[in-house]
Amino acid sequence: MILGDLLGTPVRDADGGRLGRVADVRFVLDGTPRQLMSEARVLGLVVSPHSAASFLGYERINLAQPWPLANLLRWRHRGSYLVLWEDIAMVGKDAVRLRPGFTRYSASLEDGGRQRAGDGK
Amino acid sequence: MTSPDLVPLPPVAGRILDAQLHLLDRQVLDTDGVPVTTVDDLELSGPALGEEIPVGTPAPVLDALLTGPVLGTRIFGGRPPSSRLIRIPWKDVADVGVVVRLGVRGGPLDAGWVERWVRDKIIARIPGGRHDPR
Amino acid sequence: MKRLLGVALGILTAIGGFVDIGDLVTNAVVGSRFGLSLVWVVAVGVVGICLFANMSGRVAAASGRATFEVIRERLGPRAGLANLSASFLINLMTVTAEIGGVALALQLASSVHYLLWIPVAAVAVWLVIWRVKFSIMENVTGLLGLTLIVFAVALFLLKPDWGVLAGQALAPAVPDGETVPTYWYYAIALFGAAMTPYEVFFFSSGAVEEGWTVKDLVQSRLNVLVGFPLGGLLSVAIAGCAAVVLLPAGIAVTSLSQVILPVAEGAGKLGLAFVLVGVVAATFGAALETTLSSGYTLAQFFGWSWGKFRRPVQAARFHLAMIICLLVGLAVLATGVDPVLVTEYSVVFSAIALPLTYLPILIVSNDPQYMGQHVNGRAVNVLGMAYLVIILVASLAAIPLMIVTGAGS
Repeated sequence: MILGDLLGTPVRDADGGRLGRVADVRFVLDGTPRQLMSEARVLGLVVSPHSAASFLGYERINLAQPWPLANLLRWRHRGSYLVLWEDIAMVGKDAVRLRPGFTRYSASLEDGGRQRAGDGK
Repeated sequence: MTSPDLVPLPPVAGRILDAQLHLLDRQVLDTDGVPVTTVDDLELSGPALGEEIPVGTPAPVLDALLTGPVLGTRIFGGRPPSSRLIRIPWKDVADVGVVVRLGVRGGPLDAGWVERWVRDKIIARIPGGRHDPR
Repeated sequence: MKRLLGVALGILTAIGGFVDIGDLVTNAVVGSRFGLSLVWVVAVGVVGICLFANMSGRVAAASGRATFEVIRERLGPRAGLANLSASFLINLMTVTAEIGGVALALQLASSVHYLLWIPVAAVAVWLVIWRVKFSIMENVTGLLGLTLIVFAVALFLLKPDWGVLAGQALAPAVPDGETVPTYWYYAIALFGAAMTPYEVFFFSSGAVEEGWTVKDLVQSRLNVLVGFPLGGLLSVAIAGCAAVVLLPAGIAVTSLSQVILPVAEGAGKLGLAFVLVGVVAATFGAALETTLSSGYTLAQFFGWSWGKFRRPVQAARFHLAMIICLLVGLAVLATGVDPVLVTEYSVVFSAIALPLTYLPILIVSNDPQYMGQHVNGRAVNVLGMAYLVIILVASLAAIPLMIVTGAGS
């Protein structure tokens, strides 16, 4: 499938409740080593409850300058989290459905995942 | 809204790449540093749309970088037929940084056909087109 | 010694390259209608372009990425394409204005009608882009453009009442006979003329063309921080000449001959010769820069191979795009549209489109992934945010003011 089709798709829990939209797809390069780089396996989806628009790079990395902009963009992206591939039950045309009891992981790339979902408020 | 605390991601063995953040819309350079195209979209090996994913299914992998008409459909919606997708296989990618570097020469890639056509039919026919400006 | 020469050359080219048809026309129009009461805008614009060029040059040197690659990567394809369309169209308008400017200046020098000069100018622009080495192109047009200093010389020779000029400049007020909206409309036009987006496309792509690395940052900063303010002084001299000669005579500038009239009056035939050389060099140089910029923006957005440092066959779509742009510019000019009018609109539209290019550069110049240790310092960021506000206000106010004032008439 094409990744562009996945970005922006609504994400629902097992009961059909709305959680947000797919903001990004995370890969991990731990697959079979090929000629040049390892195979890139889908680790999970970054779900944003508020907006799936671009965040100009402020998401998930500790970019704090210039501060008024950084804060604004972080605020727009508050509450986003990562769900792992194992917790995805179905990828449909109009929605991604998660398995019951899925886990919300921190989507941060830099602080080792200790960030709280409410950060940036 | 009070969000529950998030679970820290367990450590993974390899490098992490986020599609939007690290791959999409980045410049692609070939092994000689010549621009080839941009990463207009990505192709995954799965999952099949609208089908239940059985527990324990191995995660899909990144098959190829896509370019060409897919840029238009990504902007305006719709979908080019699979046969019209121009692919750069992931196995040809050598490094991902501020740019995506390929480990192969850009010349013979499918992604370069428009450039080759413009070169051979127009630019090379104008006198001085092969002149080195340096 | 060689290094010192390099620095001097860089600064001189920055001065000569600062002024283009937009600065010439807008400053003369403003001088002839508002005296020096809008000089403060030139100062605001010069600080802004220094800041903007410094950031985009630093991004290019640190990461090897030129402005539009960054814009596409940060804004994504949709917003990026909207941005490309706006920037590209305005740039095309500027290409048209500059080629028209070359032709008008050649008409003044030769009394051959400017419509006949237009194809000559366009072919010359193409030939230089096709054949001439980047650094030679930059230096020759920049150095010849320095002859515009004759505006400053003429201003002295005109022996103006300096007290009156200083009064206009230091205590700005809307002159009798002009309205407040018109005053602000021209403030935005002057701002747009000083901070034209193409200058930044060109500056950052030029840094890649010349293979800058972080080692060249000191020199690039010096070129910008010394060269642009001195170029700004040239702009002020143009406005000053118009304020001294045309304002009292009640002549509002509508043609290029009126722009250079004060020089003829102040510095005679020799001055006239200098100013014609200067205008041709400045507009020709800017025509090269804008034409290249149209190729740069397209190629960088779509990821094509680009650059004058490559053989044309190695950057085929880039060269084809520029040829098409020149042909479109020719077609527009062939309709007989007044290049001065195109210029007056192009500077205002430049101001309108400015936030689109400014914001991504401000953000990326803070991103260590691109910049390593060369991210913006605190002072640059404070100034950068202040200018973001100024640029946004100018951009949002431009269209309402254009409608209210009937484009400044």
